[in-house]
Amino acid sequence: MITEQMRQEIDEILARYPAGRERSGILPALYVIQREHGYCPVEEQDELAEILGIAPAEVGAVVGFYNMLHEEPKGEYHIEVCTNVPCMLRGGNRCLHNFETTLGIHHGERTEDGQFALDHMECLGSCGTAPMAIVTDQKSGEIRYFENLKSAADVEKAVDVLKSGNGFRSLERWTPEADPDNKGAADGPYLTDGMEPRYLMDRLNEPDSHKIATYEAYGGYAAARRTLEEIEPADMVDQIKESGIRGRGGAGFPTGVKWGFLPPETRPRYMVVNADESEPGTFKDRIIMEYDPHQLIEGIILSCHAIESEKAFIYIRGEYYFAYTRLEEALAEATAKGYLGENIFGSGKNLDIVLHRGAGAYECGEETAQLTSLEGYRGEPRLKPPFPAVEGLYAKPTIVNNVESICNVTHVMRHGVDWYKAYGTERSPGMRIFCLSGNVKRPGLYELPHATPLSELVNRYGGGPEDESHPIKAIVPGGLSMKLLTPDQFDTPLDYESVAEAGSLLGSAGVIAIDDRTSMVEVARRTLSFYREESCGKCTPCREGTAWLEKILLRIEEGQGLGRDLELMEYIADNIAGKSFCPFGEASVWGLQSNLIKFRGEFATQSESTNPDEIGPVLPIRPDYRPNTHEESGLRDSTFAPVGGNIVLHDDLVPGDD
Amino acid sequence: MADHVTLTINEKEVSVPARTLLVDAARMAGVEIPVFCSHPKLDPVGCCRMCLVEVDGPRGTAMMASCTMPVGDGMVVRTDTEQVRTVQEANLGFILLNHPLDCPICDKGGECPLQDQTMRFGQGISQLIEPKRLAKKHYDISDTIVLDQERCVLCWRCIRYLEEWEDKPQLGLFERGNDTIVDIQEGRPVDAKTSGNIIDLCPVGALTNRVSRFSYRPWEIERTPSICMHCSVGCNVRLDSRTHQLRRIVGRENMQVNDQWICDKGRFAHGWVNDEKRLAAPLLRKNGRLTQVQWSEALAYIAGKAAGIKEKYGADAIGAIGSGKISNESNYALQRFMRGVIGTNNIDHRDGGDVAALPTGLPALAELMKPQYGPDPQVDTVLLFGVDPSEELPVLDLHLKRAILRGGVKLIIAHARKIELTRYEGPYLAYRPGEEIPLIDSLKQAVQGSGEADGDSAAQAAAELLSESEKALIIYGPMAARGESGPGVRLGLEQLAQAAGEGTSVAYVGLDGNAQGCRDMGVLPDRLPGQFPLDDAEAKARLERLWGCTLSGSPGYSYKQMLDSQEMRGLFVNGANPAAESPDWAASLDDLDLLVVTDLLPTETAEKADVVLPAQGWAESDGTYTNLERRVQRAPKAVADPKSRAAPDWMIFIHLARQMGAAWPFTDVRSVTEEITWAVPAYAGLNWEALGDQGRQWAAEAAPSTAESIGRATAGVPAAASAEADYPLSLVTGTVLYDGGTLFGLTEQMHGMAHSATVTLNPDDAATFGVEAGSPVTVQSDQGQLEVTAAVDAQVQQGTAWIPESLPGAPVGALLNGSYTQRVKVERR
Repeated sequence: MITEQMRQEIDEILARYPAGRERSGILPALYVIQREHGYCPVEEQDELAEILGIAPAEVGAVVGFYNMLHEEPKGEYHIEVCTNVPCMLRGGNRCLHNFETTLGIHHGERTEDGQFALDHMECLGSCGTAPMAIVTDQKSGEIRYFENLKSAADVEKAVDVLKSGNGFRSLERWTPEADPDNKGAADGPYLTDGMEPRYLMDRLNEPDSHKIATYEAYGGYAAARRTLEEIEPADMVDQIKESGIRGRGGAGFPTGVKWGFLPPETRPRYMVVNADESEPGTFKDRIIMEYDPHQLIEGIILSCHAIESEKAFIYIRGEYYFAYTRLEEALAEATAKGYLGENIFGSGKNLDIVLHRGAGAYECGEETAQLTSLEGYRGEPRLKPPFPAVEGLYAKPTIVNNVESICNVTHVMRHGVDWYKAYGTERSPGMRIFCLSGNVKRPGLYELPHATPLSELVNRYGGGPEDESHPIKAIVPGGLSMKLLTPDQFDTPLDYESVAEAGSLLGSAGVIAIDDRTSMVEVARRTLSFYREESCGKCTPCREGTAWLEKILLRIEEGQGLGRDLELMEYIADNIAGKSFCPFGEASVWGLQSNLIKFRGEFATQSESTNPDEIGPVLPIRPDYRPNTHEESGLRDSTFAPVGGNIVLHDDLVPGDD
Repeated sequence: MADHVTLTINEKEVSVPARTLLVDAARMAGVEIPVFCSHPKLDPVGCCRMCLVEVDGPRGTAMMASCTMPVGDGMVVRTDTEQVRTVQEANLGFILLNHPLDCPICDKGGECPLQDQTMRFGQGISQLIEPKRLAKKHYDISDTIVLDQERCVLCWRCIRYLEEWEDKPQLGLFERGNDTIVDIQEGRPVDAKTSGNIIDLCPVGALTNRVSRFSYRPWEIERTPSICMHCSVGCNVRLDSRTHQLRRIVGRENMQVNDQWICDKGRFAHGWVNDEKRLAAPLLRKNGRLTQVQWSEALAYIAGKAAGIKEKYGADAIGAIGSGKISNESNYALQRFMRGVIGTNNIDHRDGGDVAALPTGLPALAELMKPQYGPDPQVDTVLLFGVDPSEELPVLDLHLKRAILRGGVKLIIAHARKIELTRYEGPYLAYRPGEEIPLIDSLKQAVQGSGEADGDSAAQAAAELLSESEKALIIYGPMAARGESGPGVRLGLEQLAQAAGEGTSVAYVGLDGNAQGCRDMGVLPDRLPGQFPLDDAEAKARLERLWGCTLSGSPGYSYKQMLDSQEMRGLFVNGANPAAESPDWAASLDDLDLLVVTDLLPTETAEKADVVLPAQGWAESDGTYTNLERRVQRAPKAVADPKSRAAPDWMIFIHLARQMGAAWPFTDVRSVTEEITWAVPAYAGLNWEALGDQGRQWAAEAAPSTAESIGRATAGVPAAASAEADYPLSLVTGTVLYDGGTLFGLTEQMHGMAHSATVTLNPDDAATFGVEAGSPVTVQSDQGQLEVTAAVDAQVQQGTAWIPESLPGAPVGALLNGSYTQRVKVERR
């Protein structure tokens, strides 16, 4: 039963969205229900459907799509350990194993007292502080990051903090080293460094960096105030075009050019800030929102001025709860000051920003899928054209920009176009936050101009290989989707053109270093596990192909690889890339394709050494035709197996073995 | 924008209308592109990726999904290259990857696009050596549809149909990625009234027909193009039969009638056709018991008895009841028998002479349709008066929804119940049975601007819509036009249309499958074939010439009058069951000297008969039927039961006529159809061959004027005059689709769907009377009482009690006893 109080809260949520578009509030409304029960019971899904005026199946379909919405109870504390590649490289699997040992349960299970539930999770945007886990407090719905869980002792300490009830004293990230007394104390911003002077990350280490006072003391909001008074929207669009800002989300499309696609007449126009940072190896937007949210808000005010929009949405990934609270606070501060709302800065302009939490779906980072999700549906991509700039949110012209892109707008308007173009190259101007993770000594965020050589980032800033005796053998330059670079390419300048020339893409600037301790078969398999899990399921090649590739890679890992597997995988990958509905298809296989070319020997060796006689897998006999209609057929959801130890977890998919 | 664009497909230039999708353009050019998700009646989604083709663009050649890409001028497309073939092979490989390949036990096997495309475009080998994904197999998503998630290829057709046509998204994609499945929300079976269409749309065997499954193989069935008889829309269907048995019904495209959709009752509720309870031999009452006899004995008995009554009491002591459920030929032969052989106009059918109808039905269904890529609806505003398409005419309901959602049609609803279509924005005018005329008057005044602005905003809004409309259509049905107030309702609606201005028209729709044909054939006490008044000299002369007899000019008794009257001595009842409608009628049927019942199944009326004749149904003999837009359509013989001796009604009356000394020129059903084209000028030329598989509409101009003809005065049970205090509620009745009636009840699988024996009350009334949902209650009028279960629903307006017709165990006739309105009280038992 949705109680009166819940109903009131849900109504308030729905009121944030334009009239007639209440369905947009479905995710936050489901969070309200989930907080009450720890999951979303069907009965209340149906009640919510009634409130939203949609069919119950539409709510059920949404709940099933999003990872963070549960259909069965989790635990008082739901622990999710990242095991994606950047964490895997730094012991994510071991960390999960440590949690299993400490709690005495397998992942996918709940402790008997119902206090803890444990799951493995895809990239949580904490690659610089791996290994790590997030913990959800069911009672409040709050989420906290527990990072640097390097050892079993660290994990035990984290569990102790939770057991003692101190786990949620703060929502700011927790690390074992910052909490000597097990009181749940907060750690500050993680490693942020780079060239001086810095712009995007300049204020992060100041005390109260997230407060409006700090930001204004630094000169914040002056650019917005001046621009709204002095610069015509069209002129500002020209300036942004002139500056050459390129999208920081991954595709690198010039921001000003995108703005220029808006049809001149149609109103309203919407701005959607893509804060659904989910590309494995990318964790830059998180820190901006956590520690310098006003920089983003000023960027939104400026961008909305340029595109003449009065309503903006920040679509923030659901796991970024702390960033969400910081943004909420910052929006309230800015509104109180009259920088948001009606007649902002006395300019006669209005701007309302709605903060919208996603619920765990990588695909929602794709702009059309994000809009679909924001409208209250499953996050499936839409046909392009029409492009969002022409027909986007609620079928109105919409600009979707990444958080870092919008922050760059702030700095262009503050310092001027020429200043901006002084950094980087002609076609890749400006500073860039590089997210360095994997097997380096100092993983973290580095603000550097475009075209900084890869080796400089890795060796000078990142301190070189994590373990000097294990050189780096491969680097992903732009988030997990991108093709691998090898040591001979380490002098590639990190700008869009040079990385493309080197055969990969700069993407989201998530740079993942892989040293020679790691099996490239495992990298490939873990990558495909991610894409299999995160494929939205809409189109055939991506939905079926990623799972097929994963099954083959799992079989190779398990020691049943066959010589012909490599060609088969290439065939599958070729028929996913470019054939799928959205760019996810390419993204899912680029890494594998380059891996198969550059590290073919590793795959061959793995198969040859474990299965020299090329014995095929024992084909499971298909279950008999099952006349019992209502029998569950046992869909299994996890293909994760930890390294180290011979633990075979009960729900692992082991080919040929039931 | 130019109307046509020219593009090159496989080196061949083609010119197609602008905005055509590439996949359709290729089809027009005779090039086949394989598809799964793409469907001409559904919005493109582009998810199966089967239709990728090479398109030359400014940035080189790219693989594009042809089902989502509109054609462009000068576009160069290739569908037959190595690359295209490779992608098709690979994609079929992906689609088949987790498909269970259980074709030998799959209903779809043999008519499965997945099989066909695998043959044509597939690789021929499987490269998969991994275990397949498992999911739920064959589980019921409704009483009539079975889902197999393993066979599903996630083409979204079912999801899109329910969303885009039914506007009831009851199926969705659940889970994500490789685990994505089509499913219902837990505990919410699909209940859209045309849900079965998703079985026809499914390109694999994921959705199967629960009623028909495992009862045929596609390659061993005979397919007969026919039409559906469950309501007056006249949807085109195909009857699939094998070994004399009807195995399955599927939709058949007719863009003038039903597009390609049919409702679930039409698709699934055919269990009665081959039911063992069917009457299979004539029965004659001997020593008080119905005894099986030869046809000759039964017919001789009837002829002798009828002649005796006619001699003793006169021709007008004999009457006949025809039916909107039987063919034009049967109805025609019946009325010719009564008028020409017996010599009386005592011929009518339920909802016949007692209803103030209009002769021509809807102008055309196509005017309301909004096909995917077809014309916009011709009508901009629809007023439904006492009609509930969702329950009575489900495919009309589908057309209306599409017209509202895609064609911008405005809907006004006047009904005693807050019917399902009220979920669309638009004025809803509530009334209680018997209050139709005042409501029409107030609407009329509002349209004329003379009404007081008394704050009834719904009436005001309705009036505004009608006045603004350029082409409005007012549709009313028998519920609103029965009995004494009927002519007033009809007149009122005609005046309303006039007031609303040029372009507004009024149409009456009957509900039974051949309701229109029954009227056209003259199964009316005051109308000759062609709906001409009895005193129309030309019509009378024509028929007298044709039939070689003299016709009586005095009006006959209507259906209700025949049953109420104590003067009737003999009655022929064909496809009707008056005994179930009223206790008084049931009693008076016992007093007849001769009661002849011709029917498919034993009924309460048949139990009282002196002679029961077994009739063939619409699937068993050739016949034509006329739908609610005057479209005459063929229903050819599709099945036959070699063990049954049932005969079509028309044949029975040919033989009876012969027994009574008349020489009719008929040799077979075609000759009856042929005579109708002479007897009914509007049907001129509409013989069997001319009708074809899509039927033909008769011209509305050929109908006689609607001038009222003289009928007999109504007698019988007076309209309820009970004091409001004693009987506080107004009884509302009407048709529901799943009524559990005689025919419906014989499809076992649908039993769970039948409307239960309930009286439904408004929540406020329920509270007042201390009744809760599920309470056992007694409903009482001053005519009788019923013991039923209470249901509570806000769709029932305050001050009314809703009991549908034909509920087994709750014959609402017990309360009405032949009247049209009654006041009732509801008490807890």
